[in-house]
Amino acid sequence: MRGISKAFPGVRALDEVSLTVDAGTVHVLLGQNGAGKSTLMRILCGAHHPDAGAILIDGRPVRLHSPADARRLGVAVIFQEFSLVPYLNLAQNIFLGRELSGRIPGTIDRRKMHAEARRLLDGLGLDADTRTPAHELGIAQQQVVEIAKALSQNARILVMDEPTAALSDREIARLFERVRALKRDGVGIVYISHRLQEIFEIGDRITVLRDGKNVGSFAVEHLENPENPANLENLIRLMVGRQVTAAYRERFCEAPGETLLEVRDLRTGTGVRAAALDVKAGEIVGLAGLVGAGRSELARAIFGADRVVSGTVRMTGAPLRRGPTGAVRAGVALVPENRKTEGLALMRSVQDNVLTAGLRTLFPTGWYRAARAARAVADVISRLRIATPSPARLVRFLSGGNQQKVVVGKWLTAGSRFFIFDEPTRGIDVGAKAELYGVIGGLVADGAAVLMISSELPEVVAVCDRAYVMRDKTIVGELSRTELTEENILRMAMHHG
Amino acid sequence: MDSGGPAQAGRDTRIPGAGYLLVVLLIAFSIFGDGFATLPNILNVGVQSSVLLLLALPMTLIIMTEGLDLSMGAVLSLAGVVLATLLMNGNSLAAAVAAAAGVGLAFGIANGLLVVTLGVPPFVATLGTLGIAQGLALVATGGQSVVGIGDALPALYESRPLGLPFSIAMAAVACLMFGFVVRHTKLGSYVSALGGNREALVLAGVHVNLVHIGVYAGGGLMSGLAALLLTGRINAGHPTAAIGLEFDAIAAVIVGGTSFERGDGTLAGTLIGVLTIGVLKNGLNDLSVSSSLQVASIGVLVIAALVIDRAVAAGRTAGSRA
Amino acid sequence: MKAVAYRLLAVAVIAMALALTTDAFFTLPNILNILRQASLTFLIASGLTLTILTAGLDLSVGANVGLSACLAATVMKSSGSIALGAATGLAFGALVGVVNGLMVTALRLPPFIATYGMLWTLNGVTYWFMGGETIHGFSPGFRALGSGYWFGVPVPIYVMAAFLAAGGIFTRYTTLGHEVYAIGANREAARLSGIPVRARLNLVYTLSGAMAGLAAIVYLARLNSAEADIGEALTLPAIAAVLIGGTSLFGGVGSLTGTLIGALTLTLVVNGMNLRAVDANWQPLVTGVIVILAVWIDVVTRQRMESRV
Repeated sequence: MRGISKAFPGVRALDEVSLTVDAGTVHVLLGQNGAGKSTLMRILCGAHHPDAGAILIDGRPVRLHSPADARRLGVAVIFQEFSLVPYLNLAQNIFLGRELSGRIPGTIDRRKMHAEARRLLDGLGLDADTRTPAHELGIAQQQVVEIAKALSQNARILVMDEPTAALSDREIARLFERVRALKRDGVGIVYISHRLQEIFEIGDRITVLRDGKNVGSFAVEHLENPENPANLENLIRLMVGRQVTAAYRERFCEAPGETLLEVRDLRTGTGVRAAALDVKAGEIVGLAGLVGAGRSELARAIFGADRVVSGTVRMTGAPLRRGPTGAVRAGVALVPENRKTEGLALMRSVQDNVLTAGLRTLFPTGWYRAARAARAVADVISRLRIATPSPARLVRFLSGGNQQKVVVGKWLTAGSRFFIFDEPTRGIDVGAKAELYGVIGGLVADGAAVLMISSELPEVVAVCDRAYVMRDKTIVGELSRTELTEENILRMAMHHG
Repeated sequence: MDSGGPAQAGRDTRIPGAGYLLVVLLIAFSIFGDGFATLPNILNVGVQSSVLLLLALPMTLIIMTEGLDLSMGAVLSLAGVVLATLLMNGNSLAAAVAAAAGVGLAFGIANGLLVVTLGVPPFVATLGTLGIAQGLALVATGGQSVVGIGDALPALYESRPLGLPFSIAMAAVACLMFGFVVRHTKLGSYVSALGGNREALVLAGVHVNLVHIGVYAGGGLMSGLAALLLTGRINAGHPTAAIGLEFDAIAAVIVGGTSFERGDGTLAGTLIGVLTIGVLKNGLNDLSVSSSLQVASIGVLVIAALVIDRAVAAGRTAGSRA
Repeated sequence: MKAVAYRLLAVAVIAMALALTTDAFFTLPNILNILRQASLTFLIASGLTLTILTAGLDLSVGANVGLSACLAATVMKSSGSIALGAATGLAFGALVGVVNGLMVTALRLPPFIATYGMLWTLNGVTYWFMGGETIHGFSPGFRALGSGYWFGVPVPIYVMAAFLAAGGIFTRYTTLGHEVYAIGANREAARLSGIPVRARLNLVYTLSGAMAGLAAIVYLARLNSAEADIGEALTLPAIAAVLIGGTSLFGGVGSLTGTLIGALTLTLVVNGMNLRAVDANWQPLVTGVIVILAVWIDVVTRQRMESRV
């Protein structure tokens, strides 16, 4: 890929990025969330069109109009969400849409399909019966089937996006064996991951992306022993760089108040563990880590949206009753990552949305009074400066920033005292981001406590009083105000102990 | 080399719980019933279940795509009326059957267009076409049966190809055909994919909408063809003859183990489901249980099957997440 | 509010068309009859509206009315007490609602399938219970509930008004009502806002059943007899009324007022057909077409709203 540029409305996703993948090598693509890795890969697999630049395969320029084009030219992508059909067997899945025809026109030659599938799976070292329905396989095996599917389409370039996120150590080892076998067969692999240990183990070249630019490309052998912290520092510094950010906070919390939220020995149904986590009144505490570290899952478990297996969550000393209802009653609020699908009812008005969580607080007897509701809503709109022509406007017409404010407003009417923000400024333009920081700052200034999940390191550093860092579904450390730097966060988030 | 997955042998068919239920029912009715376990009675069950099977087979595919067709009974009745009317007016059997099939196909395509192209939820769409088909049948006949259908159909119905009653033979042929399509053609994979992972099919470049509409069209076509058996059995065309049969078909499919989610379906299970319901009705009849209670019991059976389906699915996901 | 206004306008247009083309339309008895019939349809459709508001559905309402009415009639005859019979019908209707609710919340069955199974179960039990008999001949006092007049206005209209008022209060002036709308608009967002979704759904299905039970009593009074098949033809028109009235199958949008207008519209159409001596067998067909059209409009409206940014 040469000089690829791509801009989306409001953001320059890729700026003259070049990337070369040689046959039989693993090229690792490294970068923070939002650095442009996904966009680049989507262009490669034909889902997006570049604004500028060229793609060459075997030295010849190609035009990729659609995923089908890319597949035909030998590019295959293995995503994190698998595209297998659960109740079809492995052979059917591998050949979906390209079934091998039998002699009678219209029929498929099942024997040939199973034989071919068998051959592919043997080559990858998976001996599951090809007649097994896909849903019966573990995630690692499903991944192998995905690879087989790609190979059956004569893929010569394979893109793997965070392939080891859901795998055990043993499964990772097997995956690497297969990757090495693929290399021997001449397949070129683009490997997106943030796990340094793996990168050094399997990678031949590393390219670092930052803010849509290629900031460095090295052969792995040129780097010294991965244990040498200097190399880790280099990579991290490349990933972090110097960035301008809209995030700022007027005054950090000098003297935090009482402990509002206290989490001890928590284990969630999804395998996330948190030994200790406290948030005090007046604080904005960050929860940092890379994608897949388990931050959202921890937050949801604290809020009661996901199952808690063991441990305690206390709000102002009292343990929370189960489920979101209990949490909300106790004053806990969640501003979810997917505000459109989980935080708002897009088809309803600003007024209706703002009142949703606060109905029981505003009207404890159960009788709704329009005047009081209107006053509460007007109050929230002015306090948060929500830009809307009227409270009756449907939320779907609001900008991202204002939609987020409506979600916050929802919790204001509920009288919440502890707010969990999950990626609060994602998808919001710069100006609105600043406003949102002001809103959050206002919340804690009034005595609330905030736990903020963010993948934007500058944001975490500029806004939070302190931060916990998560990795591999556990909290691996806490950084105080003075320790809170981007390098420190990344180091904790990436180091594979 | 590693081994594949949790310890399961690879297999293409599963025996649904209904299989065991069927055996239990057969034994129970043989013991407690009066004249249940006789060859004529067993054949009787087969004959009475044949129409249901013709409906349940395409219903299986429809449910596998997370859809539903509530109009089958009404369409079948309408097709029966059309068939009987044409015969009464002296047309050939072939022409009459073609017309009935055509009517069914038309409704099936209409259902498919409503659900797939317009995005109407299946149960409402087919509820609407149910009303339309029902209305047409009632208006055309004024609520009366169409009799005097001549000799051609009764002769065919009474015939015994290969020694089997005609209806059982026809049902068997339908079974084989559906089984063939599902196992030996691309369509079979696509139907499961429609319910299990539609995007995968789209990404694979398949004409997803056509297949989806086709599934409903198949349901309509079979409803039309089943009119041949129904009209032959009652020797007339009656506008409300098959009302409620779609419920039995849905029940048979669910009892047979096909689930509403993720494309999990089995034709063999549907066959067992049909037989289970047939045996249940026949046996209850034998014990002089009123037909309305039979309907109620099937309702309970469906709910029980759904609960079991849900429990099994929950057990599976809990196990795999270990 | 605009949607309701348009629908009222449609009703007015249809009424005008009928008045101009048919002699018998604009007579007092006919108008009152229309209102009476629309009220009856509305009674059943009102509970159904609540379930559809939550993006669910209760297909069993018709059968529920049938069995509740038969049970009530039986108890009335055998105990001689109207009140006891009415209470039985009401209680049974509510019980069916409770079971429906549990199937949806505890067993997590898709509402349309759960209530569809319930429909046939109730149907079967009704036929078995009645054993082909008809119960008839109730006291004139009771019959007045369905067929009588108070101050020149058919009684069911008062019942309808009471239902409308109660329902209107519920949806607009209680927190429960607002929560119901929130659940329908986005169930997960409602859950994550602290609304006890399962409890509310149970309530809504129970109400749907209870209102069917109440409707059964009024129907019984009107028909002055109870047979196994009373409930059969009731479900489709009820659904049609709700959909015409603007309540969306996808949840979160709609109102009882709309359902009333929908019931009125449907009744007008049927009345028009009756007055012009159209074969009654056309009715299910017309209702079916209307249902499809109404849903189509619902789907298109939804799509248009979602794409317009």
